[in-house]
This record gives sequence, C-alpha cells and structure tokens, in this order.
Amino acid sequence: MINRALLPAGGGENMLHCTDMTVLERQRARIKWQQEQQQQFQLQQQEISYFTELADVFHQAGFHEGGLSEVVTRSVKPDPGLVDNGWNNDHVGGYGVGLPYNNGLGFELNYGAISRTSSCPPEVVAAVAAATVKGSESVVSDKISSGAGRESSKKRKVDKIQNNSKVVAEEDTRDKRIKGCAEQGESKITEKNNNKNSRNNNTNKNNNSNKENSDETSKDNSKVSEVQKPDYIHVRARRGQATDSHSLAERVRREKISERMKYLQDLVPGCDKITGKAGMLDEIINYVQSLQRQVEFLSMKLAAANPRLDFNVDNLFAKEAFPACSINFPTIGMSSDMTNPAYLQFNPAQQQLLACCGLGMGIDPPDMALKRTTSAPVSIPETFLDSSCFTQTHPPPTWDADLQNLYNVAFDQGRQTSFQTQPFTGDVKLSCLFLSALY
Amino acid sequence: MKRSNRLGTGFQSNEEIRKRNTQRIKTVADRSMARVVGPRKIWSRALLFKLRNRARIQVGLRKRCLVSKKKKVLGKEKKVQVISREPNRADNLRKLVPGGDSMDICSLLEETAHYIKCLATQVKVMQSIADLYST
Repeated sequence: MINRALLPAGGGENMLHCTDMTVLERQRARIKWQQEQQQQFQLQQQEISYFTELADVFHQAGFHEGGLSEVVTRSVKPDPGLVDNGWNNDHVGGYGVGLPYNNGLGFELNYGAISRTSSCPPEVVAAVAAATVKGSESVVSDKISSGAGRESSKKRKVDKIQNNSKVVAEEDTRDKRIKGCAEQGESKITEKNNNKNSRNNNTNKNNNSNKENSDETSKDNSKVSEVQKPDYIHVRARRGQATDSHSLAERVRREKISERMKYLQDLVPGCDKITGKAGMLDEIINYVQSLQRQVEFLSMKLAAANPRLDFNVDNLFAKEAFPACSINFPTIGMSSDMTNPAYLQFNPAQQQLLACCGLGMGIDPPDMALKRTTSAPVSIPETFLDSSCFTQTHPPPTWDADLQNLYNVAFDQGRQTSFQTQPFTGDVKLSCLFLSALY
Repeated sequence: MKRSNRLGTGFQSNEEIRKRNTQRIKTVADRSMARVVGPRKIWSRALLFKLRNRARIQVGLRKRCLVSKKKKVLGKEKKVQVISREPNRADNLRKLVPGGDSMDICSLLEETAHYIKCLATQVKVMQSIADLYST
C-alpha cells in the first residue's frame, strides 16, 4: 500500500513506499535522467490544479459506490496545500481502509500500469492516478494493465528520446486517463500516446479531437453516469486505429458491450469456455429460461403443498398494501445473528419464521468485488445495499396484523417445526412480501 | 396459462384450482420481486406494469363474467412504444426479459444481468419456502 507520495525532487525527497520496488527503481532512474528544476516547479503548480480537478471529477462522476466513493473522495479531496508534504497518513490510511477488498496485488498492477505508461510521472500524480484508478471501478486492473504494460514498454523507449516540456501534454493525458477511469473504468486509460506528434506539438489537436469524441459520447455518458452535468469520456485513439469521432464512439460502445458480456459470463454458470457473443447470448437465454421455469415449478410445488381454496392474493394487490411495508426490514445488517428485536419489532417466533424464509442468499464480499469491477451492474450492489439501509420505523399496524395472521395460520396448520435460525443475509423484503401475499 | 372464468360459485376441479393457485403464486413472486427492485430498473417497471394490467383485466372479468375485448385492447395499447429493428440475435433475450423490447443492446445486457441476479434470488427464496412447507 502506498503510504506517502511526494514530488520527485532532485533532492531525493521521494518517500514513495511501494512494494513493487523494481518499478520504483526504474521510475527513479528515469526521473533522475529527465529531471529539470523548472519542470519540477511546473509540476507543483499543475498538481495543485490537478488535485482540485480530480476532486471535482469525483464529485461529478457521482460514484455509485456509496461509502467507497466517499472514502476516496475524502482522501483525494484534501488540501492542495498538502502537495508539498505529500499526503497525510490519515488520508491514505483512510483510503486504504476503505478498500479492504482490493488486495495489494491489484494495486500494484495498476500502479505499474500507470507508471509505465508515462515517461516522466511525478510520483505524486502517479500515486494519485493509481489511487483513483483503484477507487473507480477498475476494469483496468487486470486485462488492461497487462495489455498496457506490454504495449507501453515498447513505447517507453521511444518516449525516452523525446521528452522535455511535454509535461503539459502528460498532465493532459493523465488527466484524461484519470477522467476516463472516473467514468467507470473504460479502457481509454490503457493506451499511451502512440504518436510522437501528438505529444510534441499537437496537444491542442488532441484536445480538440477529444472534445469531438466527448460530444459524440456525451449522450452515452449522460446515460451511463447519471450525473446532472454532461460528463465527457475522453478517449484516446490507439496506435494504428482510426481517429475520427464516429469510430471512437463506436469503439466505446463496443467496449461497453463487451464489458457487460464479461460480467454476464461470470454471472451465468458454466460459461467460462464459451468465447464469442453469439454463444454467450444463447447461454444467457438458456439460463434465463431455466430460471423462469424453476420459478414456475416452485410455484407449482407451493400450490400443491398448500391446498387452500382461498387464496386472497388479488385483494392484496388491489389494496396495494405493500409500499408501506417495504421500508421496515433491515436485511444485510442482520446478517450475523437474529438479535435485533428492536429493528423488527416482532416477537422472536416471527423472527424465526422470517429467518427460515430469507435463507441462503449471502452476498459475500468477493461477489461484491466482482460486481464492482464493471460499470454495468453498478446498480446491483446498490439494490442489495439499499435494502440494508432501511430506517427503523414502526411497521404499520396492518403489516403486524398480517404477519401475526401468517404466523398463527402457519402454526394452526400444524406445521410447527423446529426452526433453524440460519444466517439471515438475504433479501428479507422479498420473502416477507411473498409470504404475506400468500395469505 | 389462462385463468378460467369463474361464473358465480361454479364447481372447479382440483386441477383447475391448482393451476389457478400456481398462477397466483407465480404472480405474487414476480410482483414482490419487482417491488423490491422498485422503479429503478426497466425490467421491474415493465413487469409491474404488465402484472398490474393483468390484474385489472382479471378484476374486470370477475365482476362482469364476460370477456371484454375492449379492455384487453386498451391494456395493450397503453403499452410502450414499438421499436422496429432488423432481426437480431438478441431478440429471444428481449422476449425473455420483461420490457426488453424497448431497450438497446447495451442496456439490455445490463438489465439482463440484474434480472438474472434477481431471478436467482427469487428461486432461492421460493426454494426455502417450499422446503419450509415440505418438512
């Protein structure tokens, strides 16, 4: 984990602690080789503006990640005045704490990717870049960083030659790369500037073309990012690819689709070996069909197990009694044990009944981590997280009455069994609604 | 599965009763699932809309004991816009995911992912309830 990142100074103020020492050493060598005092000063200035910009970007991007984004924002936001002395340990510590599931390896990968892709990175910015990449949803971490590493290692040599006051360009590129990251980890980050031209003279040109891209893709973005202001995805043309705005926008679109396909591949069991969209689509269709069939089969089973002639379901629908009930159930918050009578305000027996019904739907951290790796299913963790953020309110009397009835009926029918209190990690709302509607 | 008309207190075979209950349970399950998700997702909105329309039609049927073509037509006309596209591989997927007709591929995939997760959860819940009843 990065503890502190400082400006690269000729005076060796580097206090960058990174476990990836080879990268660091390489970096240091490079920096020494390229260093000039004026650059350093320029960098300082730019970093101040960069930090403020970053903070803005984070705010704008409106991370869906809830607490995660706040932690990152808090850690990124800090006073630009701290630049000279590096980060507070507190900030970085907080940042580190906020990402428990991002292991060091991924972090290093990112850091390596970013550092390798620019020839003269001030280490602070690189650290921040790595940090922000971490903070954002990192599709980046795996495939892209490795790809970038390979490609950029070639380019690095080229870049070493030409250099100097491209600091501005580099700031821009990193800027945009970070913004791209902030825009939920699309793969713009990967590529370094391939062309010498753009680095040397045509920063302006790049800016212009990027703006064009952003115009093209702004519609997409406004859908994707759910932000008030239109955010731009800055896209960099890869080496040997067309640079007009249409093809770039199409590339973004294609990458989004492939990103979502990847996520679906993880979601649908048994799709590891299938490559290609057509096969994946078929598998997905099959899986959805099988799930729907399972639901139908289970409902048949429940109907058979419950030979009551009087299903009063439709009346419940007509009354629309559900909305009031939907607020009251903490779900994931109760994962450890059923010891929250205050929350539920039910008697223990009812709790047990609920416990039995909302079973086996643990959402474990690895799963969440997976969800966060792609931009597409951002709302999925949100859904489950939301259900855990319920306020404690009084359940309306009707709900209480319903559940009392439910419980009594269940006992009356002689279904009294020894309830096993299983860990209650799932979506109680769903099961409670379901149960109440059954009666 | 079409519901049979209930004319007054006519006798119904157990089979029909079970079918009807199955349908009801399934409706309940879908509806509760969609409610949990809320209006945040396209498919949940579409599903709630469909179920609500179906419920309205059924209520109307039961009251009048007549098949009212008008209502059905009205219900369908209220439905969302029709987007005509060239035949695509994802058409079957669109049919499966509620509200899939009016989505582009990108959001279709996203909605599918979310829908799959929720379906899996629903299956688990129902499975556990069924286990509860069977023991």
